[in-house]
Amino acid sequence: MLRLIKVSGDSLSPRYREGDFVLVAKIPLLFNRLKQGDTIVFKHPNYGTMIKKVDYLDKDHDQIYVIGTHDFSVDSREFGPISKKTLIGKVIWHLHQPVPKDKIGSR
Amino acid sequence: MIYEFVEKLDNKVHFEEADAHCDIPCGIYDPITAQIAALTVVRMIDLMNDLDKTHSERDLEYQNSMSRYIAVKEEHAEKVKHEIRVIWGDYIKPQHMEKHPEFHELVHKIMQLGSKSRQTANRETGVQLVEAVNQFAEAFWDTKGISIKHAKAPYAPALEMVYPNL
Repeated sequence: MLRLIKVSGDSLSPRYREGDFVLVAKIPLLFNRLKQGDTIVFKHPNYGTMIKKVDYLDKDHDQIYVIGTHDFSVDSREFGPISKKTLIGKVIWHLHQPVPKDKIGSR
Repeated sequence: MIYEFVEKLDNKVHFEEADAHCDIPCGIYDPITAQIAALTVVRMIDLMNDLDKTHSERDLEYQNSMSRYIAVKEEHAEKVKHEIRVIWGDYIKPQHMEKHPEFHELVHKIMQLGSKSRQTANRETGVQLVEAVNQFAEAFWDTKGISIKHAKAPYAPALEMVYPNL
């Protein structure tokens, strides 16, 4: 029901960065508690396990349109909506990678 | 503190990774530009034939119009080749090839028909170019899980086209 997953890639930067960890729960999905803006982890048939934000919930077809926050994100704009069946869970806790001391103030 | 602990744990047990996949291409790919360019090739051949039939004198007007049609045919046949090459080179991935192994052969066929459309004024070649680009569009939309519909282009030459069923 709970999974700890490591983030790779930068399509959700600056909020989620490569090396961050997220705790993912399946429980909110069972109670249809998913809403626009939630961050979810799912298994895409071509791209593997991905983390993206919910852009739009298509309740009629049980599909979810996902989007990254980065301009170059590969998401539903490229691969279309994802099936609800592919969901691994909703992100309920986010563990940021500490910013190295020499980088503080340079971002 | 917590991060260091989780990171050490990750080094030992290797948590699953979720990819926030990012790519440099803009992600906007659509074969419609190539389809319209292919239609334009046929349209130019039609206009060339019409002019040839209706304009008996090979005067300056005739030469001017004919030159323009030929120039546009050249440009759009080359545009078809360029647009298809971009989708093929930047968008088509191995997983798409698994589902549609015909992609490579189809792209090669389009390149050949594109060149032939420049070299000749053969309408049949132009029509074959439109059909091949439509086949490409059909496979392309399938890679995105988008169904297609067949409909006649709403302008001359009203050839049957493949459009995404959005």
